[in-house]
Amino acid sequence: MTRVLVPVEILEGKTVSPGLMSLLVTVDVTVLGYHVLPEQTPPDQARHQYEERATEALEDLSEEFRTAGGKADYRLVFTHHREQTVDRIADEVGARAIAISGVTGDVDRLLVSLSGDVAADRILSFIEELIGNRDIGATLLSAGDSADDNSESGMRGDDRLDAAAKRLRDGGLDVRTERVPNETPFDALVGLLPGHDAVVMGEKAPSFRSFVFDDETDRVASASVGPVIAVRYDPSLDGERE
Amino acid sequence: MSEEPTGTNIEGEAPDAEPVVETEEATITDDAELERTLGLAGGLSIGIGTMIGAGIFVFPGLAGAEVGTAATASFGVGGVIALLVALPTSELATAMPKSGGGYYFVSRGLGTLAGTVVGLSLWLGLVFATAFYLVGLGFYAIDALAAVGIAVGASAGAVVSVLAVLFGIGFTVLNVTGTENAAKLQNGIVALLLSMLVAFLAFGLLEAFGVVDAGTPPGEAANVWEIVPIMSVAALVFTSYLGFAQVATVAGEMKRPGRNLPLAMVGSVLIVTVLYVLTIFVATNVFTQDALEVAGETAMVEVGRQLLGPAGALVIIVGGLLATMSSANASVLSTSRAIYGVSKDALLPRKASRINLKYGTPHVALGMAGGPVIVLAATRQVQLLAEVASFLHLLMYGLMCVALLSFRRDEPEWYDPDFRVPGGVAIPVVGALASFGLVAFMNLLSIAIGVAIVFVTAGWYFYYARDVRLRGAL
Repeated sequence: MTRVLVPVEILEGKTVSPGLMSLLVTVDVTVLGYHVLPEQTPPDQARHQYEERATEALEDLSEEFRTAGGKADYRLVFTHHREQTVDRIADEVGARAIAISGVTGDVDRLLVSLSGDVAADRILSFIEELIGNRDIGATLLSAGDSADDNSESGMRGDDRLDAAAKRLRDGGLDVRTERVPNETPFDALVGLLPGHDAVVMGEKAPSFRSFVFDDETDRVASASVGPVIAVRYDPSLDGERE
Repeated sequence: MSEEPTGTNIEGEAPDAEPVVETEEATITDDAELERTLGLAGGLSIGIGTMIGAGIFVFPGLAGAEVGTAATASFGVGGVIALLVALPTSELATAMPKSGGGYYFVSRGLGTLAGTVVGLSLWLGLVFATAFYLVGLGFYAIDALAAVGIAVGASAGAVVSVLAVLFGIGFTVLNVTGTENAAKLQNGIVALLLSMLVAFLAFGLLEAFGVVDAGTPPGEAANVWEIVPIMSVAALVFTSYLGFAQVATVAGEMKRPGRNLPLAMVGSVLIVTVLYVLTIFVATNVFTQDALEVAGETAMVEVGRQLLGPAGALVIIVGGLLATMSSANASVLSTSRAIYGVSKDALLPRKASRINLKYGTPHVALGMAGGPVIVLAATRQVQLLAEVASFLHLLMYGLMCVALLSFRRDEPEWYDPDFRVPGGVAIPVVGALASFGLVAFMNLLSIAIGVAIVFVTAGWYFYYARDVRLRGAL
């Protein structure tokens, strides 16, 4: 079954919004409770002081997931480096997506970004599984260059978006499409946020994002108040990682 | 031998140990995981960053003034001893990749008394070393002020003290309140320093062999190629080699510890040894002993000025400021980890490792590092501070070698290092003898202070923690 990792800065009083909890009832959830330490502080030292409090909070949180009808376990990590920890745990639990919690009520419509060179197929099958037979709509977005042309498949951007929409409609979903060729994928996504309760996007290949200070997902998450779910790049497409 | 530490200290606190699983990427305890976030570059940067400030920017003048070009041999001896210790330390660190460094190995190999002495000496040794770096920083700050036209004149000594104290307070406050990750900055500074030095030394060497002529006076120092002076200079400048063991204090946070710890420790020793020997060669080629003696702690600035004019002097001033700052800062960080290692085992009150809620930093340990540093820095006794720091470190180095021998003779079941010192017991035996032997060449006052500290720490063990059993535990 599909697993989604939900990182939570557990000792900073962060939690998971009820809307995201109920959205994720169709998948397995691993809550990653993490605490980032300044380099002056050995992680072990922080563990001695905070472990108990953090574990209690994580048990409560997993219990809430179960009350909402989902399945959740948790991991607790003390680290100096958030991204490294999220990547490692996501690999270890075999997570297909990472959900960054935001504030939202019930989720009625997802905004799905298919802009750029992302693995559309992985995103679509994740959407199918996530929504299941619930009454949640999806808006497919294609912006920037990819709205015009897709060099890789040789397919026009229009065709690609239509094919994606058809696939989801065939599965019984309520689908809309949006093309914004003249804006960057990021601006287009932020522009469409009103009217949507959560964002689903594809994670870029690690080789593309390692030099960028802020992950695109994090940028979107800070621009949006709602949750953002990043469907992970499949490492097997990339050969072996370091 | 039991696998778990036992016993309690005078306050009834027991060593805090629970079974853990170490992987390449994390330490896994019952309920939590501790991410390993330092790579090889980070480890090298801690080692080189701690060492380079002293050996390149403070000691060449002092050492050259004593024995001239023969000081290259002194630095060479220091490098060989450091390497003899770095190899056994690597084996111990890969067998026990935990924070606490040398303290941890000695307490597990030789028991609580030796552990307490080494743990507290490591703390105080780092305090002396940090004070020494800060005084070096103060001297460079004076030169920097002079370069921008602010002369401090006759009261220069007092100004150095004031600056060293201010920097000491600044570092302590920054470490308590700063949550920005300075590791990247430290890596950048070390890379910048290394490239500057390589360029500077290449030019200096070409000049020394007459390939280029920068018009330096024919001032070759009169050399004293005699064993005793060379060794006593080696004892003085050994402070330049204290950084590699600091890598072991962050062993618990290093990725792929089996590979990265030995590479970082041995690599940083080899790199700084080569740089030190070349630097001293260039410096003593440019200046006579008298000239070096007059220039003192910042003699390298004058060397830079002779070789490359005002620009050369400026480069050395900037390099000296950065290098002594990075040494001082890296040492403050190691000190708080050393204190944590000891207090975790109930040899110091548990309070010492509290983390404050506001900044998430170990403010008590940082205060125990910074407070005495500030007092010592005010004394401005460069040679004394350096020698006491070396004494306390050499004691730990020697005992680490002995601890290795003890593990080798009677291997606990869990003892499974990824890296083993080649050649049987030869290297640790020579390493221990050399470490203890070098102490004999120090100043009597330095030895007296060092011995007094050892007695006080041993007394602390008998008063506070005599019932704690650590030997053979993991």
